[in-house]
Amino acid sequence: MSAAALSLKQRLKLSRFFSGEAPAAGPIVLTQRRVFILPTQRGLAFVLLILLLVLIGFVYNNNLAYLLGFLLASIFFVTILHSFKALAGLTIQPARQQAVFAGQAGPFSFQISNPGSQPRFAIDLVLQSELAISLAAEQAQIVTLYQPTRQRGWQLPGTLTISSTYPLGLFRAWAPLRFDSPLLVYPKPASQQLPFPDSDDGQDKPGQNRRSGDEFDGVRAYQRGDAIRQIHWKAFAKGQGVHSKYYSGASSSELWLDYQHTPGHHLEERLSQLCRWLVDAEQAGLRYGLVLPGLRLPPDNGAAHYRQCLQALALF
Amino acid sequence: MDLALDRLLTAANQIILGKQPQIRLAVCCLLARGHLLIEDIPGVGKTTLSHTLARLFGLDYQRIQFTSDILPADIVGSSVFDAHQQLFSFHPGPIFKQMILADEINRATPKAQSALLEAMEERQVTVEGRTYPLPQPFFVIATQNPAHQIGTFPLPESQVDRFLMRIELGYPSRQAERELLSGQPRHVLIDQLPVALLPEQLAGLQQAAAEVHVSPALLDYLQAILAFSRQSNDFASGLSPRAGLGLLAAAKAWALIDKRKAVLPEDLQAVLPAVAGHRLNVGTNDSVAIVAPILKHVPVL
Amino acid sequence: MPFLPSTRLMLFMLGSIGLITLPHAWHIPPVLFGFFTLMLLWRLFGVWRPSYLPNRLTVFLLMLAGIGLLYSQQHSVFGRDAGTGLFVVALGLKLLEIHGKRDVYVIVYLAFIVAVTQFLYEESILMALYILLVCGVLLATLITQNSQAPQTLPALKTSAALILQSLPLALVLFVLFPRLEAPHWSWLDDDTQARSGLSNTLEPGSIAELSLSPELVFRVKFDGELPPPAQRYWRGPVYASTDGVRWRAPPVLGRENNPDQPAFTGTAYDYTLMMEPQKQNWVFALEMPTQFAGGLRRNGLYQLISNKNPGDRAEYRLSSSPAYNTGGISKTERRENLQVPGKPSVRIVELVRQLQDKQARPELFIGNLLQHFRQENFHYTLSPDPMPDQPIETFLFERRAGFCSHYATAFVYLLRVAEIPARVVGGYQGGQINEVGGFLEIRQADAHAWAEAWLEGRGWVRFDPTAAIAPERIERGVNVDLQIASGAVNFSPVQLDAKTLSWLQRGRQLWQSVDYNWQRWIINYDTVNQKAFLQSLGINDFVKLGYWLLISIAGIGGILAWRLLRPNRRRQDPALVLYRQFCAKLSKAGIEVDAGDGPKTLAERAAHRRPDLAESIGRITAIFIRLRYQADSKTSDLQVLKTLVASFRV
Repeated sequence: MSAAALSLKQRLKLSRFFSGEAPAAGPIVLTQRRVFILPTQRGLAFVLLILLLVLIGFVYNNNLAYLLGFLLASIFFVTILHSFKALAGLTIQPARQQAVFAGQAGPFSFQISNPGSQPRFAIDLVLQSELAISLAAEQAQIVTLYQPTRQRGWQLPGTLTISSTYPLGLFRAWAPLRFDSPLLVYPKPASQQLPFPDSDDGQDKPGQNRRSGDEFDGVRAYQRGDAIRQIHWKAFAKGQGVHSKYYSGASSSELWLDYQHTPGHHLEERLSQLCRWLVDAEQAGLRYGLVLPGLRLPPDNGAAHYRQCLQALALF
Repeated sequence: MDLALDRLLTAANQIILGKQPQIRLAVCCLLARGHLLIEDIPGVGKTTLSHTLARLFGLDYQRIQFTSDILPADIVGSSVFDAHQQLFSFHPGPIFKQMILADEINRATPKAQSALLEAMEERQVTVEGRTYPLPQPFFVIATQNPAHQIGTFPLPESQVDRFLMRIELGYPSRQAERELLSGQPRHVLIDQLPVALLPEQLAGLQQAAAEVHVSPALLDYLQAILAFSRQSNDFASGLSPRAGLGLLAAAKAWALIDKRKAVLPEDLQAVLPAVAGHRLNVGTNDSVAIVAPILKHVPVL
Repeated sequence: MPFLPSTRLMLFMLGSIGLITLPHAWHIPPVLFGFFTLMLLWRLFGVWRPSYLPNRLTVFLLMLAGIGLLYSQQHSVFGRDAGTGLFVVALGLKLLEIHGKRDVYVIVYLAFIVAVTQFLYEESILMALYILLVCGVLLATLITQNSQAPQTLPALKTSAALILQSLPLALVLFVLFPRLEAPHWSWLDDDTQARSGLSNTLEPGSIAELSLSPELVFRVKFDGELPPPAQRYWRGPVYASTDGVRWRAPPVLGRENNPDQPAFTGTAYDYTLMMEPQKQNWVFALEMPTQFAGGLRRNGLYQLISNKNPGDRAEYRLSSSPAYNTGGISKTERRENLQVPGKPSVRIVELVRQLQDKQARPELFIGNLLQHFRQENFHYTLSPDPMPDQPIETFLFERRAGFCSHYATAFVYLLRVAEIPARVVGGYQGGQINEVGGFLEIRQADAHAWAEAWLEGRGWVRFDPTAAIAPERIERGVNVDLQIASGAVNFSPVQLDAKTLSWLQRGRQLWQSVDYNWQRWIINYDTVNQKAFLQSLGINDFVKLGYWLLISIAGIGGILAWRLLRPNRRRQDPALVLYRQFCAKLSKAGIEVDAGDGPKTLAERAAHRRPDLAESIGRITAIFIRLRYQADSKTSDLQVLKTLVASFRV
């Protein structure tokens, strides 16, 4: 876990304080190298309060006023340690990233674990969105923060700033972290709903089951209007009630989505259209294949195939 | 009792040649009170395997061939009006047997599939408001064709989770195939098989499997596996708590077959492909390849 | 989004603010405290009914009302009372105006200031503890403010821990922070509070009320032996001039340089005297003070006067010698101390003549007079009948019952009529020994008056006519307990009481001792004390002081950092630690150890690669598996594993 030692020059680089060190692939443990502490405005006001108390002690020659002033000063000092303790030892690592379409808020998930036996009461996490959590002892939590996405492809999370003002709000301890855990961004689906391209056998709109199709599709409870020859007589004879068989045609035929035959003025527009079709086809339960220059994914459906196709578009 | 288990495995291995690991997993699955999904092309011995197991365990056996026109009532049974007694009486379906072979389950409509899967989960059947318990033990071996053929309904991801394990049989090795070709027909051999376990022995073994010791250290490893599956980008979705319970039960049964009183990390690793492979949705069917990152990256100690 | 403080936060805050201001109920004008209480209750009500909280206009009007109240109740802006009133009213008004987290901080900081103002009124150890506790709740308020899911108990615990961790450093700062003598700012002075104590005048009867008060006047800690009880006379004002009813201390101006410095013989007592806040700047030294530290002077009446503010506690190093000779007196002094108003009555002259012998020797006369008190029917009582006119005559011839003042004034009067210079001395007598702390406590009940006569060749000599009363003539109704210490009332029950010293008394003494040390070391830790203490540590200059400060801060900080920041993870399984050593040895032998390998897998591979080690590898693995994964491991297994791993050579 020990990252390579930093040279003095690297240590003093200002960007460390704001945007963190070079992106890390694995988990990051918050150590004194990662965590920075500075007093907040309230902390500075607290210093003024301490000075006032000591002044009262001086003017009135009052030792108890001195003592309270010194106690607060001492608390101020001890709070530095507690502020560091609020973050120290926390382990942050990127969790599974759920791919999104461009334009959606990109969810970046991180797992934050507290290996110590002390609970952490207030941890603020900022990427582009903000989140505040508390962590019990020896507990881990997966948090998701959002960052806008614009372009398809891999997108790295920005600087994740993890901070805390616990316990008294006099100091803010923060650690800027960068992770090498890119999020896959699919192309933005075209807003226009174009009909599917013509497939080999030339089909009409998807998702419509033709009652007169030739492919047996299953049975369902009898509905008025079902043809007599569709009735599942065998089941009826067994006393299982009246069912009718139904047939479908196009729904299980194959759809080829080919880059070459996709309308669009430029690459992104075409990919966007392909993406739209992919979404529609998967929703309609069609079997679809994808053809891109240099890539051919045979027709299939299901979540895995869907992801594979979208990824191909995202990284094309 | 251990001897009986050994005998059983030996006998099964003589029927299904060159498939020791799969047979062992199937037995393990049964001892862990789970259901088994066999995914493979036709003709590699899925039916033979289930038939053999039923025979050796001495269980009532029923094969249900799933077709596209099969109805839930064909599986669970239905109430039929008895003209003589002027009453509806329940005619139990084929599912009321101790061991069911649900053949080519992906041929049936989702409605029929879910009738079976519900019965598997709840170990009881509800028809027209009345509940009928299924026999004990109750063990379903379902087979499904991997190829997406027209007119098939692959089990949805949420339903696949109901099976404790999914295994593939694969083609036999050259030597095993030679023996198969030169030997007697399998169905003849199966008919000659003696029952290896008494029903109460099976119950005892299942009980013993549940009682295998699990140390905190092993649970740490199991939880690390679950956590890894949930964080890793290798998988679209992580393992559910049910998967975790299944892994533990299967590992316990595996340890029992190995005649050990405690579960070792190796037991978890042995059952992991079969238990986790079909639950981790990655778009391939090769269970061993699916779980390889887990075995590689999750530290045992 | 409007700021909505949690109910818990509000209750913490309002509770601690109420507690921190509560003692001011006795200090600030009731109207101001009432105003504050109203604001607090209003805000408290608003916790559950926010709609009843005042709007901005109402707050503004309330503010005007507050300013008006402040103006009407106190006329200055500066000074303790004015400042306290101002802060309390400001705190009350601010409570009604909580719009953001910032306001919570403003309120908490104001509350800390109000907490400090409490110390300007009372510096007792109890008050300090009280304020410390309430400050803990204030800190808990801030913790609640900065927690995601605040809980009451953890917040209080954390604040307690913070305070405890901060105390050592606070004490170091307290000791080392240089104390500078603040100039006396007169504009900060407030009207003197009514404090009891001896007054400038003496009318028989004015001490009666004081003698019942157990209020502490001063404490004395002797370096060595205590003087015997008969010598424990603590000298206060001297009353020389009289109009027959009232006795006054003569003006002391211009009398600083007594022609004859007293001569002291015998051993001197060295002691530390700690005065409680007083009305007058008198310091009650044991007769006679020989040496006294700076800030004190001895006036011509041998009374010690301090130039410090009598309202503060003060500590003095003194030396007294009970054997002294003040030498001669001047003519003026002689005249003053023979002064009687008008002509003495016939009865008085007759009595004096009776007691005088032919040669008119003063010692004999005094002896006869004391004898007279003893033999005639004189009584001691704390509740004498009022004697408005001619009190001395009434006392001597009619009532014959009174307390020390009556006896002392009558005694002095008779001596003066007999042409012997005499005067009344006020002060304290006796004192109670605190056995725990080993010091004397002198209370108002120990107030006493005695007489002093000037005798040729001996100077001023102390006589205590009250002591001449026979013990059996002490009237019932006298508070015996309060008079025990008084040598004047030296009757026997004193010993009885000492024997049956109950645990209650002991507890009281213990408490007094704690309080004494609190006063001694905390409250009175001033420039002089600090200098002495630091010098005893070898710190002479600011540079050294700076080093000390730095070193102690660094040291305490280091210890705290170590205590707070050391990783507190679960202890590792000892079997695992040993097994890791084994794995390290294996990988040194060239056998790769993967993170994903179970122990059995690893053992098989290792045995395959190194058949020569197969046996020991197998044994180590078997024991490790038993320890880590099986239920039936034996306690000796760990030891065996240790030995096996240690002796495993590749």
